[in-house]
This record gives sequence, structure tokens and C-alpha cells, in this order.
Amino acid sequence: MKMLKDKKNRKLRIISFVILFLAAIVFLAPYFWMLSNSFKSTKEILLEPTNMLPKQFTLDGYVKVITDSPFFRWMGNSLFVTVIDTLVVLFTSSLIGFVLSKYKFKLNKFLFYVILITMMMPTAAMMIPNFLLISKLGWYDKIISLVVPTFVNAFGIFLCKQFIDDMPKELFECAMLDNAGPFTIYRKIVLPGIRPALGSLTIFTFLGLWNDYQTPLIYLNSSENMTLPLAMSYFSTQHLSDLSATMAAASLIMIPASIVFIIFQKQFIKGITMTGMK
Amino acid sequence: MKNKKFVGTVMVPAMLHMFVFIVIPIVIGLVISFFNYNPLSSDNKFIGLENFVRLVQDADFRKALLNTLLFVLITVTLNIGIALVVAQMISWFKSNKVRSFFRMVFFLPCIAPMVATSVVFARSIFPTTTGFLNVALNKIGIDSINWLGDPKVVMISLIIYTIWVDVGYNVILFSAGIDGIPSYVYEAADLDGASEWVKFRKITWPLLGRSFQFVIVQTLISHFQMFAQFAVLILKDGPQNSGLVLSRYIYKMAFEYKDMGYASAVSLVLFVIIMTLSLIEQKKSAVDWEY
Repeated sequence: MKMLKDKKNRKLRIISFVILFLAAIVFLAPYFWMLSNSFKSTKEILLEPTNMLPKQFTLDGYVKVITDSPFFRWMGNSLFVTVIDTLVVLFTSSLIGFVLSKYKFKLNKFLFYVILITMMMPTAAMMIPNFLLISKLGWYDKIISLVVPTFVNAFGIFLCKQFIDDMPKELFECAMLDNAGPFTIYRKIVLPGIRPALGSLTIFTFLGLWNDYQTPLIYLNSSENMTLPLAMSYFSTQHLSDLSATMAAASLIMIPASIVFIIFQKQFIKGITMTGMK
Repeated sequence: MKNKKFVGTVMVPAMLHMFVFIVIPIVIGLVISFFNYNPLSSDNKFIGLENFVRLVQDADFRKALLNTLLFVLITVTLNIGIALVVAQMISWFKSNKVRSFFRMVFFLPCIAPMVATSVVFARSIFPTTTGFLNVALNKIGIDSINWLGDPKVVMISLIIYTIWVDVGYNVILFSAGIDGIPSYVYEAADLDGASEWVKFRKITWPLLGRSFQFVIVQTLISHFQMFAQFAVLILKDGPQNSGLVLSRYIYKMAFEYKDMGYASAVSLVLFVIIMTLSLIEQKKSAVDWEY
């Protein structure tokens, strides 16, 4: 009986391995084709579309991206926005989460509900009022428009509060007895206590901002202010006939992030399953 | 704990920020949906419910709403189904290396900016003569398909792309859910000689149920708002508006036609759909992934 069962399981495992393997090839194919095309000339892409690998290997596409567009400026803009915002969001989320979790004051419950509702705000439906607000503030086409509005993040506050709620009460009572000030408690007890939440929040905030297209599309106009995703669509419409350069630009945007992901794979996946959020 | 000064120092600026960047925009959005609002014009009249009356009569809006519902329904169903099957298959492997390899592959597209992958699909995968998909289909003897030019096919292309780009999230979530089910439950079933199908139906499915609802609602919310592929992968919403969805329609009306009052009325529809979904989810909050 047992042997029969094992045999059946092995068959099942082999079948699912084959299916998953084929699916994996399908999933990786767009990456392969993008990279392959980025090393071909546009002429080769158009005239010999069946070449799996470039017949005439060329870096012209990449050279064009770097010399023909302010690529490093775009990358700098993206880094500037993402790094500053991620740091600020980590700070504000943990601090506000700490206050909501451990301090008694009149509006505590009410403010927490406000934050819960804020978490549900659909960005797609808020395009117009956000744009009008940014214009009124005089921030249209300025990089500050991407930075300041995201300083307080409802999801981050919620996540940190939940983690701080779970921390043992005694930790805080001891600190109070020692007469430690709130910022000392925050630094010495809260921050080390919620490290996993902060790790996952870093990944979400960073990825969300790094990949955001809609907000910069609405707030920015001049090409030198763009962040990478917006620049990508701009570049591809500017170089409609230059497939090779377009694929090179896409590769330059996608490959470094993919490598970072592959290196930190475990942390990424842990971060996602921990919160179950997108 | 109590400390008025500290609470004030933290909460006052935080609330001020939220008031300016969340409350004010919501109010603006509501108010201008009752106006004939053009940011370039100085004469923006109050027109009452006219924008909403226009909504009901607008064929493009109806098309966008219908396309959105169709897209969300099909894509989310496929997404959840595929993710579940893939996660279950991955869980059958004993080796951690094999498991994390497959998880990584399916998740990889989720990391990339959707604009970039949309450009890749638009320019290198879907084109009729040079695209990878038709090259591959021709190799196995199937005729080329006009992925982006045929109004009947455009939505299918968008769905294929969206599955590719987004299914990885749910594979990861379901994988974690399945891995979280203690192995002794399965071992007990093995002793009773249960088949894999029975184990899936009687153990995995019910135990996954709690996280399942959460994942569906999350996926629905994110798919209703998808924008990048509709703006970048297809040109001008596809032939005969075959790829026009609500998020794109709002953008087009507001920022291409500067008809912001009307676009705000459309936004309100999307807003209501998503808020309803979110409220359903709030009721079933407190999902934890342990068993």
C-alpha cells in the first residue's frame, strides 16, 4: 500500500515539475526577449525577427540611452524621491504607531479610525483633486510634489501600531520606572522591537515609490524632472522607431532591481507574507 | 501611558499633513463633480447633478465601466485560480531550493515597474510580425494573431499581460498559507489513504479559506485601479475603445480634455466601487497567517 502511494506521489511530483518548469520558461521569456533585442540592432529586430540571439551583437542601444537621454539624472531623481520618502515613512510610521498604541489621549480611537479609512483611499479615484492641490501649492512640475505628500503613510502606521500592540507591557513599564523620556523609549525599545515590520515596510514603500507611474505622470512635465517609470514611457514615445534603444532602456530599468530582488529574495517574500498587502 | 506634550508634538503635525493631503483632496473631488470645471477657464459654473446625468447617457463611460468589470472579473478569477494551482504544485516539492526557485520566477515580474514591462510587451512581445508571441506561435504552426490591433483580441492581450505581471503576489501568499498548515494534518490524511485531490479539498481549501477572502478582495481592489498597462501597452485605448477602462477614462477626461468636473463624477463611481470592497474587507480584518 505504502509503496503504491509513493509511486503515485512521485508521478505527481514529476508531472507538476514539468508543468511548473514550462510555466517558468513562459514567465522568463519576456525578460530573455527584452535582453536579446536590446543587444540587436533595430534593423535586425525588424528584418530577422526569428533570431533568438543577436546575430550581430551590439551595444548601440545602451549607448543611445546613456548619451541621448538624461538617464542618470532620471535615476538620481528616482533615488532621491525613494530614499528620502522611505526614511521619512519609516520614522513617521513607527513614531505615530507608537503614540497610538501606547499613549492614552482623547482622540486616540478616533484618529486610529481616520487612519484606517485613509488606508482605503483609492489613488486612481484621487488623481484630479491631488493634481489641483499640487498646482495650488505651486508644486506642479517640481520634484517636491512626489516627496512631501507621501510623508505620512496610513498603512505604515497601521502596521507599526499592530506590532507595537503585541510588545509586552512590562518592557514599557520598566522604562517608565527608569524615568526614560518618550524619545528614549522609542529609540531603545520600540525601534528594536518592531524590526521585522520596519523591514517589510521598507520593501513596500521603496518598491511602491520606485515603480510609481501615475503620480509622476500627473505632477511632472519637464523631462529633466522625471523619475524612471515616467521617463521610460517618455523615452519609448521619443524613440518609437528605435526598438533596440527602447529595449535597452527597459533592461537598464528592470535588471538592477531584479538582481537586488534575487539577492534579498528571502526578506522580500517574508515581508510580503507577513503583511499580505500589496 | 500619558504625556500630553509628546502626543501633541507627534500627532498635531501628522494630522495636519493628513488633513492637507487627504481630507482636502476628498472635499475638492466631491465639490468639483458638481461643477463644469476646467482648470484653464476662469468661469467654472455650478451645474448641480448635470455631470451625473451625463454619465448615464455617455456611451464611452458605459464602455469603460463594462470593460473594467469584464477585465477585473476575468483577470481576478484566472489570477486566483492559477496562483492556487501553482502554489499547491510548488508545495509538493520537498527541496527548499526548488520551492524558492519557482516562487522567485513567478514573483520576478511583480518587482519591475509596470510601465517598463508594458513597453516590453507592446514593442517586443505582442507586435504582429516581430513580436515574440507570434514568432513562437508560427514555429509551432499557428497563424499570427493581431494582438493589439484587433478590437476583439485587445482585452485578451491585456489580460495575458496582467496575469503575467501580477500572479506572483498571490502565488507567494497562497504558498505561505499552504506552508503554514501543519504537516501532521496531511500525515494523518496519508494514513487514511487520502488522494492529493481529497487532501486539497478537505484540508488545504478550508484551512486556506481565511486568507483566501482577504487575497480576493485585495486583488479586486488593485485590479480595479490598474492604469499603467492601459496607458502604455495599448495605443489610444485600443481600436474602438476596446481597451478603455475607468482609470484611463478619468485620466483622459481630466488631463487630455481638461474636463475635470465630469472626470470627477467618473472618479466618484470608481471611488464608490473600491470603498465598498474595502469595507467588506474591513469587516473580515485581522487575518493572520499562522495556524
